[in-house]
Amino acid sequence: MSTTELTRTQPVTTQPRSAARSRWRLTFNGALLAPGVILLGVLSIVPLVTLIVMSFSRVHLLGGIRLEWAGLDNWTRALTDPDLWQSWALTLLYFVATLGIEMVLGLAIAILLSKVVRGQGPLMVLILLPMFAAPAIVGLVGRYLTDPTFGLYAWFMQQVGFSQDILGNPVSAFVAVTLMDVWEWTPLIVLISLAGLSSVNPSIIEAASLDGANQWRMLRHIILPSITNILLVALLIRSMDAVRYFDIITVTTNGGPADATKIVPLRLYEAGFRFFDLGYAAVIGLMMLVLTIVIARLFVRLLTGKGQRP
Amino acid sequence: MTSSTPPPPLSRRGFLQFGGLGAGALLGASALGGCTSNTASTAVASATGDAWRQFAGTTINFISENTAPTAAIAADLRPFFELTGITVNVVSLELQALVQRVALDLAGGQSQYDVIYADPYQVLAPYSAGLADLRELNAGSSLPSLEQGFADFIPTQLKATGQFGAGGEIFALPYDAPTMIWQYRADIFDKYGDRMASDLGFDPTPGSDRTWEEYWRIADWINKYVNEIPFGTGQQAKQHDSLMCDFSNVLWSYGGDYFENGQDVGLYGTREPGPCLLRQPEAVEAAQFYNRLVSIAHPGSRGWDWDGVANALRAGQIAMTPNWHENAASNEMAQPGRIDYAPLPRGPKRSANIFGGTGIAISGNSTGARRGAAWLFANWATSPKTQLSNLKSRVGGGTPTRESVYDLAEVEKAAHRPSKLPNMLTTAAVTTAWEPEYIGLRPKIPMWNECDTALFTELSRMLAGQQSPESAMNAAADKIDKIVARGWVA
Repeated sequence: MSTTELTRTQPVTTQPRSAARSRWRLTFNGALLAPGVILLGVLSIVPLVTLIVMSFSRVHLLGGIRLEWAGLDNWTRALTDPDLWQSWALTLLYFVATLGIEMVLGLAIAILLSKVVRGQGPLMVLILLPMFAAPAIVGLVGRYLTDPTFGLYAWFMQQVGFSQDILGNPVSAFVAVTLMDVWEWTPLIVLISLAGLSSVNPSIIEAASLDGANQWRMLRHIILPSITNILLVALLIRSMDAVRYFDIITVTTNGGPADATKIVPLRLYEAGFRFFDLGYAAVIGLMMLVLTIVIARLFVRLLTGKGQRP
Repeated sequence: MTSSTPPPPLSRRGFLQFGGLGAGALLGASALGGCTSNTASTAVASATGDAWRQFAGTTINFISENTAPTAAIAADLRPFFELTGITVNVVSLELQALVQRVALDLAGGQSQYDVIYADPYQVLAPYSAGLADLRELNAGSSLPSLEQGFADFIPTQLKATGQFGAGGEIFALPYDAPTMIWQYRADIFDKYGDRMASDLGFDPTPGSDRTWEEYWRIADWINKYVNEIPFGTGQQAKQHDSLMCDFSNVLWSYGGDYFENGQDVGLYGTREPGPCLLRQPEAVEAAQFYNRLVSIAHPGSRGWDWDGVANALRAGQIAMTPNWHENAASNEMAQPGRIDYAPLPRGPKRSANIFGGTGIAISGNSTGARRGAAWLFANWATSPKTQLSNLKSRVGGGTPTRESVYDLAEVEKAAHRPSKLPNMLTTAAVTTAWEPEYIGLRPKIPMWNECDTALFTELSRMLAGQQSPESAMNAAADKIDKIVARGWVA
């Protein structure tokens, strides 16, 4: 081997080592981020690991928390529990219903609002008001409005021939709690959609109008494609919330009648904080976590896909 | 909601007794509140030599459901503070939130709550191992014992709210005593009684001589012929604990029960109650009747709990309902002189009136001066004098749990109109309801909360027409058996 060859080969052997070293070196930015990332990791990972361990245990509370190994008992119970699966079906139905209605209604109101020239500010305030009420208060208001003795909505329903208690009938109770959520959170979709609508280039709309496009075609081919990303963000935010819907149902029906409104978060609460069956609650919690991650990934992928499209 | 007594003032006498050092200790105790040390209170105790003042300067926490007796006590803690020098922070919560906090407090072993409102089914049965045996505190030579002893408490209430298991320990002192009785619009019965009797063929006057079948017929008659009131009866048939309570009255009266030796399981409690009896024909018959009863009740019944029916009765929406007797004071305010009370109707076996009373207990983790102070508070809060003053409270107050209070002339007088203590208008009905052959006691087992949920969910499905009464009872029994077989974990 010649000297020239040696000198030529030296960088070849040392380069990967230094590259590896530089890859693992903590940069200035990394150092600044590290405390936050470590804290976040501790706050997220420790509870997650605990939750997983709990899901394979019987959790004893008295005399200090103690975990007793239960193997797959909790998981088997959850996977074979017909009541839990009924709750999952209800959760899915509720999820689709609330998000569907909220998106359609929210977008429609936003489009109408964007056409308003005078008084848009006061109208906007009125439309956004429900969003500022705490969900428990929305539940209480809903309960009073549907009360069969003095509720306004109950009176309207009685006038059209529905004499039963709205919250006492399985179908009407489910519809009622869904609409209460729609009432509270449609304004958020309005707000987000309106922000999206304001970013649509007016010259394109003007050009389409000159070309003879009607309102529906403009909505379908210009406005909606322009605000799809923003709508996806709205959908992502609302879907995360919808999976955790709890307050309004607790205040109004508490899961009844006949379990018609007992969606999974209520069952989780019941297992964890009413029956103190924390191992079983951990399983339900983990199932919810998986669902949330799947939904989030789905929307993020859709968003990323949209962003990459030329 | 939290309320507390003001910080203890420094009396002139106390200052002269202790001099600068004693005053310093007292001031320190005042400032530290809950952190008061045993040394400080012992110093005060030895100086005063008064058993009730030996823990002066201590601060304790009392966690309670937001009930009328607690509202009355929280509204007037000054007499206790003047008697003992102890500051009591009252944390008043909805029952479910209370159960969570107590469970986590006992798990943590820190005794944030010294005195606990111990619901027999959600706190006492599951967590009795974490509560102090009050017999030891009552017998302690340095602590004041209960005025007239344990024997002054109504016997069934002391057992139902205070004991768990066969060991004879007393974990809680009877504190409130809500019991379901028949509440009805006396004016309607006065006005239509004769016509009703003639049409129905029996005397409709409410009482334990009436049967549930007759109750149904009275309700149906009112639905058809009384214009002043829309519906004859209202039931608390929401998918809630209230549905189990409402149904249990019928279940027991028809001879059904949840477990073998139901009365003993209700009085003393057990961890292994055996197989569930809801599949038996008596239970199915009771469910069939209850289904029929709700079908003619006010349509709001399926969405009402006990507050719902109480409001409906006061609003003139229904003529009668089974409900907790402690609603009497509010009833009298809304419909003065119009609502009367009787024990619930009987079924083929008996009249059963579900008891919902609760005791107050002391956390087993509470030690030293705080444990002593907690005993003084529990002792004072359930004393005849305090129970009498609660009865007179402007914020409601409960009904006494001591026999001696019912023997007082002013309390006896208040059982009849015009009454200054309207809750006492129920005296005749509840004293009958508390007799062993009339009282209804749900099973005192640690896993009752889950069994209760299984039952009221299946009943709710039955009322929604999704299953027959027989299927509902079978499904509930299957679930209860599984829950019991799993055992109590926490």
